[in-house]
Amino acid sequence: MITSNINFIQLKALVVKEYREAFRDKRALMVALMMAILAPVGIMVMSKIMIEKLVDEPPVYVKFSGAEHAPKLIKHFADSNLLDFSDVPDDEKSTWEQRNIAIEIPEDYAVDMAEGKPIKLHLQADFTDKAVQPPVRRINSAVRSFSMSIGYKRLLLRGVDIRLLNPVKLVEQDTAKPDATFMLISMMLGIYLMLAAFMSGLSVAIDSSAGERERNVLEMLLCQPVSTLKIVLAKLISASTVAVIGVLLILILTSVSVGFVDLTKIGATFSLDLSTAAVLLLLLLPICFFASACQLFVAFQTKSFKEAQSTVGILIGIPAFIPFVVSMMDDRPQWLNWLPIAGQSMIIENIFKGVDVDWLAVFATSGVTIAITVALVLALAKKLQSEKVVMALS
Amino acid sequence: MIEVNNLHKSFIDKKNKKNTVKALDGLSFTAKDGEITGILGPNGAGKTTCLRTLYGLLSADEGFATIDGISVTDAPLAARAKLGIFPDKFGLYERLTAYEQIDYFASLHGMSGKTKKQAIDQVVQDLELGDLAHRKTVGFSQGQRMKVTLAQALVHQPQNFVLDEPTRGLDVMSTRILRNHLAKFKAKGHCILFSSHVMQEVAALCDRVIIVANGKLAAQGTPQELCELAGEQNLEEAFVKLIGSDEGVAA
Repeated sequence: MITSNINFIQLKALVVKEYREAFRDKRALMVALMMAILAPVGIMVMSKIMIEKLVDEPPVYVKFSGAEHAPKLIKHFADSNLLDFSDVPDDEKSTWEQRNIAIEIPEDYAVDMAEGKPIKLHLQADFTDKAVQPPVRRINSAVRSFSMSIGYKRLLLRGVDIRLLNPVKLVEQDTAKPDATFMLISMMLGIYLMLAAFMSGLSVAIDSSAGERERNVLEMLLCQPVSTLKIVLAKLISASTVAVIGVLLILILTSVSVGFVDLTKIGATFSLDLSTAAVLLLLLLPICFFASACQLFVAFQTKSFKEAQSTVGILIGIPAFIPFVVSMMDDRPQWLNWLPIAGQSMIIENIFKGVDVDWLAVFATSGVTIAITVALVLALAKKLQSEKVVMALS
Repeated sequence: MIEVNNLHKSFIDKKNKKNTVKALDGLSFTAKDGEITGILGPNGAGKTTCLRTLYGLLSADEGFATIDGISVTDAPLAARAKLGIFPDKFGLYERLTAYEQIDYFASLHGMSGKTKKQAIDQVVQDLELGDLAHRKTVGFSQGQRMKVTLAQALVHQPQNFVLDEPTRGLDVMSTRILRNHLAKFKAKGHCILFSSHVMQEVAALCDRVIIVANGKLAAQGTPQELCELAGEQNLEEAFVKLIGSDEGVAA
């Protein structure tokens, strides 16, 4: 009873002290949580750019002649963002003057239209000019769709089923891999979350290990009647708490910020609802502990703060690297599911693809991750009893 | 009571065997309860290595050390629980206040609640840290840092104190406070072991002096005995003579 009480008092004191130090180091904390704050901004900007690229129909200015004969056609053009040259803003005037796209609408347009005669519109432009090609293509399709809609109406009036006109229809189903279009966003978010789990606790982990040694407080601590296991646990708890806060912030801020981007424009749906966020958090929690344990393990064995920073810096490459490799692999071996980081990143990818969560895989990969974390903690506690690590002897 | 028996410790340079340092070469001594024992020795004599072995930070190649009869290698935690340490290299947690830091070490020794608070208040009062207690330690002067470190070493009233040059950087007032403190603990029957370079201090304070040279015991006894042994008037002369002629005298 008494010993367990002492154990509790010691662990509590260690954890409280680590928390105090971590949360009072405002600058390190800011850097740690910077990633979280940048995440939603990055995702917003990326989606905005992506949407613009995919559905971009910048205004095209065309010199219409005889526009007054065909108001409906002009309106149809305007709906497709094909505007009259007289509306061109001043800063783009010279560009469109140079492109010089002209459409001539014949005088007898209205009469021919009423009589059902073919009408010839004349499009004049330098077709070899690359900058002119996309506007021309758009004018082309605008005219075709306008012409088709009138044609359909005429057939309908005559009692003909317009489906007869399309005996074969191509149904397009996009089965693109995650590297395509919007999936990239969610892939990026997955990698980003993984990175955040690794990065956020980094400064705290280094500061409480290599930093303490450099400030000569570690030796003092190791002379106290506390087991090294408790010391390692306390430091792990504080570093991973910061990591968890980072991940949580990203999830919250992202779910708020995606609401501002209209992904339906490109036919994509991306929502981070509460249950998805909860599953993501559940997946990333073991990663936070695993990451902090790795960092402490490495940092404690370095000789100086600087060495710790550069060595642990390499560790950060892992979470960024593994998901990329995994996402590029076509044949994924089974054992990848079990590996920390790789397993989680595949599950996260599936979540974003909309595939149901494979709970067995979640528990398997989490279990393996936690087991490795425990092994790291035990090994580190053992190492801290050796004079070589304590005194930083080579 | 602290007992050190036949300690040997070498630091081996793997690349160059010639650089191997033999820090301790069969050092033995005993520091008794109710006495202040001073360790004297030139730089590099092995004082700090010996004390680090006592804390359990270094493991001796040969020999053993016990604290109140508990072996520091077999039961390091139990041995350390009986120990208050003022180490050679010390730092402060600069983001904590002095009070929080003393509190931290008190908790590590298993204190809690009212007893802990009383103990902290007592040590803060004894070391005249009242004004500093609730300030963060980041801007503290060397002397103030020493005081905080002393306070955290003494807060749990350990049976044995080990102090590695506790008076460096302290002003006269603080040195006096420390001296009075040590004398009080001695009167209560605690065992105090401290290393120092200041001869007057050792002469004035210590009941017994252990002179260490080249990792070995060079001589031991009361300051008076050591002077007589070397045939000198003051301890400083005696010390120089004793470490210079170790074969003749230590035998």
